[in-house]
Amino acid sequence: MSWLPLAHALAARQDLPIPAWLFAWGASIVLIVSFFALSVGWREPRFEGDRWRPLGAGLSRALLGLPMQVLCGAIGVFLLGLAVYAGLRGTEAPDRNFALTFVFVTCWLGFPLFSVLLGDVFRPFNPWRAIGRLVGRGFAALAGQQPSHLRYPQRLGRWPAAIGLVAVVWLEVVYGVSGGVSVGLSPHAAAVAALVYSAYTLTMMGLFGTEQWCRNGEVFSVYFGMFSQLGCFAVEDGRLGRRRPLAAATHWASVPGSAAVVIASIATTSFDGASEGAFLGALEWTFERFTDADLGLTLALRLTDTIFIGLCVAGVALVYLIGVWGMSTVSGAPPLRKLWNGFAHTLIPIAFAYLVAHYFSLFVFQEQAQFTYLLSDPLGTGSTDLFGTASSGIDFQLLSANAIWYVQVAALVVGHVVALTLAHDRATAYWGDYRQAARSQYWMLAVMVAFTCFGLYLLSVANA
Amino acid sequence: MNRPIKILTLLLALAAALALVACGGSDDEESTVSGQFELVADAPSGYEGLTGEAELDRTESGTEATIQLTGLMPDAEYVAHVHAASCDQPDPGGPHYKFDPNGSDEPPNEIHFMFTSSADGEGEAEASNDQRIPDGDAGSIVVHSAEEEGEAMKNGEAMEHGGGEHSHSHSDKIACAELEGGTAPEEAATDEGEAMKHEGDPMEHGDDAMKHEGGGTTIVVRNGDPVGGVQELEYSAGDQVEFTVRSDVADEIHVHGYDLMKDVEAGGSASFSFPADLEGIFEVELEESGTQIAELRVNP
Repeated sequence: MSWLPLAHALAARQDLPIPAWLFAWGASIVLIVSFFALSVGWREPRFEGDRWRPLGAGLSRALLGLPMQVLCGAIGVFLLGLAVYAGLRGTEAPDRNFALTFVFVTCWLGFPLFSVLLGDVFRPFNPWRAIGRLVGRGFAALAGQQPSHLRYPQRLGRWPAAIGLVAVVWLEVVYGVSGGVSVGLSPHAAAVAALVYSAYTLTMMGLFGTEQWCRNGEVFSVYFGMFSQLGCFAVEDGRLGRRRPLAAATHWASVPGSAAVVIASIATTSFDGASEGAFLGALEWTFERFTDADLGLTLALRLTDTIFIGLCVAGVALVYLIGVWGMSTVSGAPPLRKLWNGFAHTLIPIAFAYLVAHYFSLFVFQEQAQFTYLLSDPLGTGSTDLFGTASSGIDFQLLSANAIWYVQVAALVVGHVVALTLAHDRATAYWGDYRQAARSQYWMLAVMVAFTCFGLYLLSVANA
Repeated sequence: MNRPIKILTLLLALAAALALVACGGSDDEESTVSGQFELVADAPSGYEGLTGEAELDRTESGTEATIQLTGLMPDAEYVAHVHAASCDQPDPGGPHYKFDPNGSDEPPNEIHFMFTSSADGEGEAEASNDQRIPDGDAGSIVVHSAEEEGEAMKNGEAMEHGGGEHSHSHSDKIACAELEGGTAPEEAATDEGEAMKHEGDPMEHGDDAMKHEGGGTTIVVRNGDPVGGVQELEYSAGDQVEFTVRSDVADEIHVHGYDLMKDVEAGGSASFSFPADLEGIFEVELEESGTQIAELRVNP
């Protein structure tokens, strides 16, 4: 009986735990940087004003014009179709089937990375949005009027996406169980899930409007869009422009449910990492209680994992709540609810750092598979060799264990610093008075240090 | 923030950092060493499927040791002792470990185990002692058959090494689990004479729970599952990975990452030997059944 996190189903290799000395140094640097940050903080908010400046009109036309929109949309729909087809018709070996690597590595990990670097790159490729827009246009052309939609309940905000985010990870790491052993999701199950999700998404788009649903409920749009807030390119009013890095994030969390999205992101990554080491004993203990109670192995394992994902979400939310509550006790503080939403964006860099720390090596290695044999032989049946790369393998020498460790620790430390920066900036905007702002930041500092050190701890005990 | 507070926060940070580093590096009062049982060179026949684990805990109140074995004869009596030296001595384990080198050869001056195996050949035993074995001195734990002990002592082989009552002959010993290796204490070494002067630096194997030399580890697959659970193979980058899989089912053995495959027939075995040039943790599995039998760990 064993817990196999996502990496296991796809990749033949897992990371070694970071050594104790590196853990100690990483954590020490985090603490020193944090206290230093408090003592040198600036007095005026620097990120609050959005200074978006358009880039050349020609560039905007070329990248955002209708031909490009159609092309990108078509690529998105084609790739979704290919993934579903490969999942339904291809091999059941997770590592040889295009579907799983494409969905859970290339897209699920690749879009956050490119969103941070470039901005919201998922939006043009979003297959559901492309279909929704096409249907909307078709309807308008036939009926001679714009389709009318239900009003989206604004109080619901991004909650559907937050719940969907947990559901996607649940499907990925919990559902893929057979005979009491986590074997990872089967390609067939992934394809069926993609079809179910497509039906759900298109229905919701029909009800509330394509763009409205993408802003609030469509899991992938909201999730990748969250990371794109850190980047320095953005489209406004159909024009591509530049903005100050991190600045856009300050407005992101004004929609209800945003804090839930970022908490879900940190919590689900934590669970996946912790099931490799930190939670192993507790998971096994709980699992044994369930099997003692005569539950089937598969049910017991799913139930155990589900409970621990829930605990992770509750734990991350609680740590954040403590920080927010602490800030609210500093004189001149805005109400608790405003603080809860107002600082949610400061966790985005931590969520991204967690992703890099846990999945960086998987991404580097598995993308080699994606662009060689999975592309040439998407079904994994050995019947096709489209680009002549069907027999290639993964070069595991590309990254040494040391290189991976340094990237992991560096990601967490840099994420920590960026998060502190955003939190400090927001505090100076909320409090006005510099001294009170700094005082409130002791609380957020504690929250950030807790998340970063917990992240380091997870790395140090993973697969230990 | 004014200057004194600034300095205070920096000092706090440094103190916290130092505390962290210190915590990371300090030795705990309690410690545990463990090792896998491996057959000794002259083990009696019938134990080919034997696997097991020995663990020795140093606690504040003394020493506690446990052993667990599978692949023993059914319903047979066995004894085991904590030995003073490494499993790769010519006489595996050397003499028994004695708290007082000049003291008695009975507990509590030595740590002995006695147990009877179950009907399916599994056995486990615990022993504890009020004294703590100094770090590095718990060489190994050796298991031998209680039923053959008397005979083996009579046939003269035991005298080969000049040992006393409690030095067992090769044929008497079944399996040895390496704990901390090391040499036998001075007293015993002189007692044992030539037999104890083995080649090489004894500490070379001291820290490794697993031995890699001499053809490496053997993983036994019974009824399609690895005996004793998924086996751990740990190497440093650049080492030669060597292991053998003995299986009672036909399958293909796949070392992931390194992407090496070898067929094994039912009742046959397959040996692997390759340089550890990829770092990370890799699965070794029976490809067709999809059962993981070992985890290969290559440290930088």
